[in-house]
Amino acid sequence: MSLAVRIIPCLDVRGGRVVKGVNFKDIVDAGDPAEAAKRYDAEGADEICMLDIDASFEERSTTIETVKSIASQVFIPFTVGGGIKSLHDIDMLLKSGADKVSINTSAILNPDLIAEASKEYGAQCIVLAIDAKQDGEIWNVYTHGGKNKTDLDAVEWAKKGQDLGAGEILMTSMDKDGTKSGFDNNLYMELSNNLSIPVIASGGAGELSHLVDAVKLGKADALLAASIFHYEEISIKKVKQALQSKGFEVRL
Amino acid sequence: MRLGVIDYGASNIHSVARALKSLGSKVSIVDTPDKFKGIDKLVFPGQGSMGSCVKKLKETEMFNPLLEVIKSKPFLGICLGLQILFNSSEESEEKGLGIINGNITKIKDINNENLKIPHMGWNNVKIEKKHELFSGIKDKQFFYFVHSFVSAKTETSITTTYYGEEFVSSLATENIFATQFHPEKSGAIGLKFLENFINWKI
Repeated sequence: MSLAVRIIPCLDVRGGRVVKGVNFKDIVDAGDPAEAAKRYDAEGADEICMLDIDASFEERSTTIETVKSIASQVFIPFTVGGGIKSLHDIDMLLKSGADKVSINTSAILNPDLIAEASKEYGAQCIVLAIDAKQDGEIWNVYTHGGKNKTDLDAVEWAKKGQDLGAGEILMTSMDKDGTKSGFDNNLYMELSNNLSIPVIASGGAGELSHLVDAVKLGKADALLAASIFHYEEISIKKVKQALQSKGFEVRL
Repeated sequence: MRLGVIDYGASNIHSVARALKSLGSKVSIVDTPDKFKGIDKLVFPGQGSMGSCVKKLKETEMFNPLLEVIKSKPFLGICLGLQILFNSSEESEEKGLGIINGNITKIKDINNENLKIPHMGWNNVKIEKKHELFSGIKDKQFFYFVHSFVSAKTETSITTTYYGEEFVSSLATENIFATQFHPEKSGAIGLKFLENFINWKI
């Protein structure tokens, strides 16, 4: 017996509404976050993730209200990310009902934030989120929701994040995100081989076989997806049944 | 009936309080010694290390009132709230409450499975002994865990779970029940378990 592979539906939220874009662009409205979270919980989601996609630039009070609303109705682990800049932000989100926070741009601008947050709240609630795009042999890290390219190598940065005290890595492949052409399994395999903390794979889920392959080939510990679950193209239960039929432990 | 949730200042008590409230319970946060009054049942969600927890309980003068309540009223310890019932832990020099004989040790990877620690995620809970708090819950259901230290099997074990080694995922003695898993984060089954605690009569 081992830990169940976690299936994590992600709610991309902007201004208190669920939205979804393709390749980080062309955003469309897709409903109420708390309603969606409740539905996912009922369908067997192992965790809920909420990313406030514009929170780096916008005001935060809507985010807090949305977090509170989800946390009072859904009793599975709940991760919140987007625009987190300080221990104060983390404190506020945890008090509002998040179990974990996912930190992206701010961790690059200020790596000490990961170390300090991990020391203060425990590694189990600090998720280092990375947006990466392939460039030849390596993957480059991007910040600000995929807008700005950095010099960082994604695998090296993930390792550094682990050393700083991150409890999990949430890696989004920008090449695959929204394309429904499968996960970037080479990236995840590279990460899994280099890390001792769990890796959450994100970006590219379109068919059942994509999700199974990310676990089988990419050795991902958890799978995160937004649109396929949101538009009910594939049910969480179907994903779990497919994983189980390949011998993976799932919570059914 | 009023449920008290202990807040010693280092633990995320809000998710437990929210889950209990969603089941229709009246919940009071117990963060000073006088707030133990009028509490019918007590929940102790723990986080962090045994040492810092015991220290904080002493600083806030809640240590002795807590020991009194544990003797008589229905008590539910969660995560560190289970570990603190033991004599000691490898994690810290500070002693636990010593209500249950035994020590808390770091998770051992006895079969070299290249385990990731902390043990974080959903794992099977095997029912070893019948108990009211598991009524209506089938054997080998998944509950949510986040921890790095465990208790080896004791006479008080109710359920066990395997991760690197077999450890106690819940235990009971008289009016005390404690879980290593987080019922407040274990979805519908976790809520069923908490409902059983709310209805528990000793």
